Amino acid sequence: MNEFFNTFFDFTFMTDNFGLVLEGFWVTIKLSLVGGFFALIFGLILAVLRQLPGKTLAPVRWLAIAYIDALRGIPLLLVILLLSSGMATLASEGTIPREIGIPQWFGESDPFWYGVIALTLTYGAYMAEVYRAGIEAVPRGQMEAARSLGMSHGQAMRYIIVPQAIRKVVPPLLNDFIALMKDTALISTIGLIETVQTGRDLYSEFFNPSGYTVGAFLFLIVTIPLARLVDWQIKKQDEKFQRGIP
Amino acid sequence: MSEKILTVKNLKKSYGKLDVLTDIDFELEKGEVVCVIGPSGSGKSTMLRCLNMLELPDGGQIMLRDNEIFGDGKPKDLDVLRREVGMVFQQFNLFPHMTAEENVSIAQKKVRNRKTEFCRERSTELLTKVGLADKIGEYPDRLSGGQQQRVAIARALAMDPEIMLFDEVTSALDPELVKGVLDVMRELADGGMTMVCVTHEMNFAREVAHRVVFMDGGVVVEQGDPDDVLGNPQQERTKQFLGLVLDH
Repeated sequence: MNEFFNTFFDFTFMTDNFGLVLEGFWVTIKLSLVGGFFALIFGLILAVLRQLPGKTLAPVRWLAIAYIDALRGIPLLLVILLLSSGMATLASEGTIPREIGIPQWFGESDPFWYGVIALTLTYGAYMAEVYRAGIEAVPRGQMEAARSLGMSHGQAMRYIIVPQAIRKVVPPLLNDFIALMKDTALISTIGLIETVQTGRDLYSEFFNPSGYTVGAFLFLIVTIPLARLVDWQIKKQDEKFQRGIP
Repeated sequence: MSEKILTVKNLKKSYGKLDVLTDIDFELEKGEVVCVIGPSGSGKSTMLRCLNMLELPDGGQIMLRDNEIFGDGKPKDLDVLRREVGMVFQQFNLFPHMTAEENVSIAQKKVRNRKTEFCRERSTELLTKVGLADKIGEYPDRLSGGQQQRVAIARALAMDPEIMLFDEVTSALDPELVKGVLDVMRELADGGMTMVCVTHEMNFAREVAHRVVFMDGGVVVEQGDPDDVLGNPQQERTKQFLGLVLDH
């Protein structure tokens, strides 16, 4: 038992290297926030494209559906590898400019930006489905009322449908954000020094896995409160719908 | 009062094999109040919804004044039509994330491109007219059904429509709230608004309508002066229906 603790919870090692893991975790946080932000926007765009009306816009709908299906069906790791190697190759061949193929914007490394793009592409597809559920949960009469007042489909979506849909989907979007944050670990495979990679570096240098443990704790400090926030949001919505029932 | 404002010819609508509307002919003059009655499933709501293309007809022609709005199986000037025709629904369909005032203002602002200040004044004026001066800042879930329906009427009126369509607007209301809504509609009719009301309120039809249309099985069975249609119906189906609804 003692051995077990010494292996996973080597306190001296953990305190000595806490700062290093925390530095990696800061990269994880940045990556999650930037990737999550773009995924939220991209997901909404996909969901709105998927809901466009009329026959002429059917090809746009199909493209949106095909994209969502494809990206939901491919492992994120594969997207990361495809994207990073693909873009780097194109840049070295000169097909696309180097600043785009090997992005190092705002002082962040290229694996960071590959990560942001991969998360946006994949989680945009996941979140599009969440938004869609929210849009479809808005009663049909809302769209009818908006259109009967002379609003275009776009105006009705923007002012009437989407604002109501977003309120309904805050909890599932937060859940997706938690999943996204954990999935940032995959980006360590292309050389980003985030939480997991820091732990791995420490392990290979000192043959001590306690660095991983620090990383796990750091994740939990953020993910557990987020999970409670989701519960609280759901409870709040339920109360709103059940007002008046004892 | 003989200026024709809306002309419907041979209107057809079916869902799969079920014919909901068969060759509906219908005319509306400026300032006219028409009440459409009939048993459920008779196609009266569908007809009303076809008038502003919430349901797309399968055939026939709809003219708004001299503009063809629907013809050759296709809608034409949808935006013009919907701007000129206001609609009030059975389930109110107020926007729940907006106050009463915002509900009435939003389309004025976005569709008519009116200034915010103007919209607010107009909304206040209309909400006062429907008796809700003290509810301007309330959200729909704080209003009774009758109050919500009156906001919905104000919202449609804010677009200054030429025609108002009412789709069983009192059917979802508690009995004691019906009068307030009907009073607003009566006032509108007295003010010369052109109205088409699908309704089960026979007394309202008798007192307010210039013409009553009885529909059954997707066709107009009988129409004419309210006293004639309701008091002395000629068709067997009309007699049967009125026997059922007027008996109590």
